[in-house]
Amino acid sequence: MKNMRKAISLWNRGHWKDYVFSQGMLLIASLLLVFFISIGLGVGTILQRFLSSDLPEEQVRVTPLGVQAGFFQTERGGMEITADIMDSLAALPQVDRIDPQVYAHVPAYLRGLLGGRNYYTDITLEGVSDAFVPDSMLEHIDWNYTLSDSSEKPLPIILSENLLILYNAGFAESNGLMGLTPEGVIGLEVRVNVGSSSIASLQAPPINLRAEIVGTSRNTALFALAVPIEFVEEVNALYLPDDRHTYSALMVTAHEAEDVPEIVRYAEELGLSAETRRGIAQKAEILVGVVTAALGALAAAILFSAVASAIHTLVADLKNRSYALGVLVALGTKRERLVYIFAFQIFFMSLISTVSGGLLGCGLSYLVSTTLLNLLPVLKMAVNSLAVFPVGWLSAGLGLVLSVSTVSAWFFFRKILTTPVTELLRR
Amino acid sequence: MSKPLISAHSIVRFFDSLKVLNGSEFNLTEGEFVAITGKSGVGKSTLLGVLGTLDSSFSGELFINGVNTAEASSSQLAELRREFMGFIFQDFHLLPNLSALDNVLLPAVFCGTDTGSIRDDARAILSRLDLRNDNTPTRFLSRGERQRVASARALVNNPRVLMADEPTASLDEESEANLFDLLDSLRKEKGFAMIAVLHSKKILSRADRILELKEGVLYEKHA
Repeated sequence: MKNMRKAISLWNRGHWKDYVFSQGMLLIASLLLVFFISIGLGVGTILQRFLSSDLPEEQVRVTPLGVQAGFFQTERGGMEITADIMDSLAALPQVDRIDPQVYAHVPAYLRGLLGGRNYYTDITLEGVSDAFVPDSMLEHIDWNYTLSDSSEKPLPIILSENLLILYNAGFAESNGLMGLTPEGVIGLEVRVNVGSSSIASLQAPPINLRAEIVGTSRNTALFALAVPIEFVEEVNALYLPDDRHTYSALMVTAHEAEDVPEIVRYAEELGLSAETRRGIAQKAEILVGVVTAALGALAAAILFSAVASAIHTLVADLKNRSYALGVLVALGTKRERLVYIFAFQIFFMSLISTVSGGLLGCGLSYLVSTTLLNLLPVLKMAVNSLAVFPVGWLSAGLGLVLSVSTVSAWFFFRKILTTPVTELLRR
Repeated sequence: MSKPLISAHSIVRFFDSLKVLNGSEFNLTEGEFVAITGKSGVGKSTLLGVLGTLDSSFSGELFINGVNTAEASSSQLAELRREFMGFIFQDFHLLPNLSALDNVLLPAVFCGTDTGSIRDDARAILSRLDLRNDNTPTRFLSRGERQRVASARALVNNPRVLMADEPTASLDEESEANLFDLLDSLRKEKGFAMIAVLHSKKILSRADRILELKEGVLYEKHA
């Protein structure tokens, strides 16, 4: 339109401060919206990552109830899984196969070099069959190991990823040790000492073995290292031949994924705990949902106040200037032309503010993400970035901010323009 | 007899239950200067608002340049105000942050008219009204100066009817005489008609007709 720039310049002369303030609020609203969406979804991703499981859909991991605290927990805390229980589960028509897991009933400790520093820690060994090991991992490793192999090859170990997280978050940081990633620990050689105990009298002398971490898993018991089951059975028979034979867990494979609920029901009736991929996912979803809802509520509150403030300032400015609009109409300016000019101005300026706020929000999210990942290696282990930028969601959010603010201003502007001129001219 | 520029019949205007205009009749012909007088609060500004199409909440008939305002769209009425009439408001109604020149150019700028030629006219008329043509916002001008800026704005479009609501209320006697000397000379030059709400006897004597508004009705005082 002819003279558009001049008209906008004349209209705003002496009123730029109000516009800058209202547009500043809009910019902040957009910035916060993008920041919370980006970081909120990033936190959700991290939680999902920490809480997710590698368990195949057709498998159920059956364990005794109770909390594990090193090998002392084993089968003493509640219902034990005996051979009878395993047989009764195996008798279910839905069950295809069962792969038992066994804790070593003797203490062990692990020694190694990490970042040039010696370290050692007490450990629990849990024997698992090759069914526990993913096929992709089995292609590269030999999961068969007995005591007779000790001179020829290292004992293969699978480490809990959650243990790594705890190590990174709680131990490494406070002791000035380097953080560990799942990829970083594979191939790490350590020494494992089995059967050395100061609290129990054992029949055989301790055995010192060469061991190698061959993989990580999210399905292992938290404080146990997964090793081949034949090895653990052998160790238990060597040190405690009279001990009752029980299992730490049973990996039950159903014929079909649909059979899993029936197996879960039966295991729970026996007083055991049954974990499934879906169950873990549901728990994760609930937690992620709670965290996301909390972040969302905070974001909504901040967003609401920022948008309300932006709208209030825009509307207050228009209200203050209804007299000037009256003058323009009285002098023969068509209302349609005023609508066109001001709609353009409101939309254009708000668009600039919203997009700028969005870009600044992305920058802030990136900055916060980088800072947090540098400060907390545990996060770095789980994700490459704490901030995620889903273009669709961000565009929808910014579109909402833009439309709410401009539509509100637009409605108020229309309302002013439908007021009789003589009323507008009364200050 | 020439066709009236403005013709109003049986104009009635209420403010709530108060009847301010009570069947007023009014006609304005080409080049005529009609002065409207009356006591304060009698409804002179209201009448001017109705005749200027700023107020549409009345009953009766109003024809402007042959157009029945009741049947005209808001766009047509806006065009009449812009092209056909010029207004000098009692309170000036200037935009305080704008300079005198920008205030004068305001209608043209907002209507998308080419401001090139109007700018020259605006400068000329500001100069004739002895106003500074600089960037000083009008909020810093004296009342008299603002009154003259308002007059310049009303005249810049070469209206056929000039409506003035107490245009000399803020001026001293000399300035009042100067303004009407200028308006008279412009009226002779350009041929526009004028309706003015006035109190000053000296200025009233310049009018072709004087109408007094009493109890909502216009009475002719003398020619």
